[in-house]
Amino acid sequence: MSVWLQILDMAGAVLVFIGAAICLLGVIGMLRLPDVLSRSHAATKPQTLGMLLVLAGVALRLRSGMDLATLALIGFFQLMTGPVAAHLVARSAYRTGQTGHSELLFDELDEQLTEER
Amino acid sequence: MKRLIKPSFRNKDLPPFSCEFGGRGRVLDLPLIAWLTLIWVLLWSSLNWANVLTGVLVAVAVCLAFPLPRVDLGLRLHPWGILMLAGYLLYDMYTSGVRVTRQIFVGHPHRAAVIAVPLRCRSDLMLAATAVAVSNVPGGSVVEVRRATATVFLHVLDADRPAALDAARHSVWRLEELTVRAFGTPDEIARVAEPPPPIRHDRRDGT
Repeated sequence: MSVWLQILDMAGAVLVFIGAAICLLGVIGMLRLPDVLSRSHAATKPQTLGMLLVLAGVALRLRSGMDLATLALIGFFQLMTGPVAAHLVARSAYRTGQTGHSELLFDELDEQLTEER
Repeated sequence: MKRLIKPSFRNKDLPPFSCEFGGRGRVLDLPLIAWLTLIWVLLWSSLNWANVLTGVLVAVAVCLAFPLPRVDLGLRLHPWGILMLAGYLLYDMYTSGVRVTRQIFVGHPHRAAVIAVPLRCRSDLMLAATAVAVSNVPGGSVVEVRRATATVFLHVLDADRPAALDAARHSVWRLEELTVRAFGTPDEIARVAEPPPPIRHDRRDGT
């Protein structure tokens, strides 16, 4: 029996490590990518994945009902709030022109915004 | 004597699953109170009567102090659809993590673009849920959502190839269909079963 518990602990530790590594990748992406909108890709997606992996790893080590539910709640809020924050950052960056419009290949939102005027 | 709490099956004017609280027409949304109570209990990490009671009290107090506008969300829960959506989201998050990682470490600068993706469903909840789902998957981060035309504007990282843009559009439409099949009304589900709307190809500085 204790062998299985050790396996679970080990798997949990591995998941936490992978999740932390993926979060680190997101940070490296934020440093390497050129503008705000590209950085928001790196800031949201690997972070969310890494966060979920860390939560799964912690769940494998805790293994009690209420703690699992709390972890699920944390994951749910991460999934719900991350995109909202990223969208607000991206929207304000776009509206204030901090995207480097010359670097965009084309921009269908800009066409629609200029049509309105 | 007036009742303090009047549930919705006694008063047909109220929306379903809600009750009127007090004499001044404050309407409490019962599923919202149940959800807030659940969050309260989960935050305390132990299920006992004291936590449940204080949770209900706090939830009612929050709902009375910060009343929400009365809207018909049009939220339905389809368990099988929710499972499908969760499965696709996990898989997509994995592939998007891999893809973004590759773009981070690729040497040459990529060309980004902002594309417009018209959606088929029109309700606010479906639009918001689709936008949240899209933000978590490869292809794009949402820059702007236009409610009047139900259009989502995405920032796509590797826009060099037209195939990548088409893939981004189709992933948005697939996610929209999954989201509506998980949470939508029958009307919306019938609408997403149709083919996606045509895209305008009149770009001035096209690819």
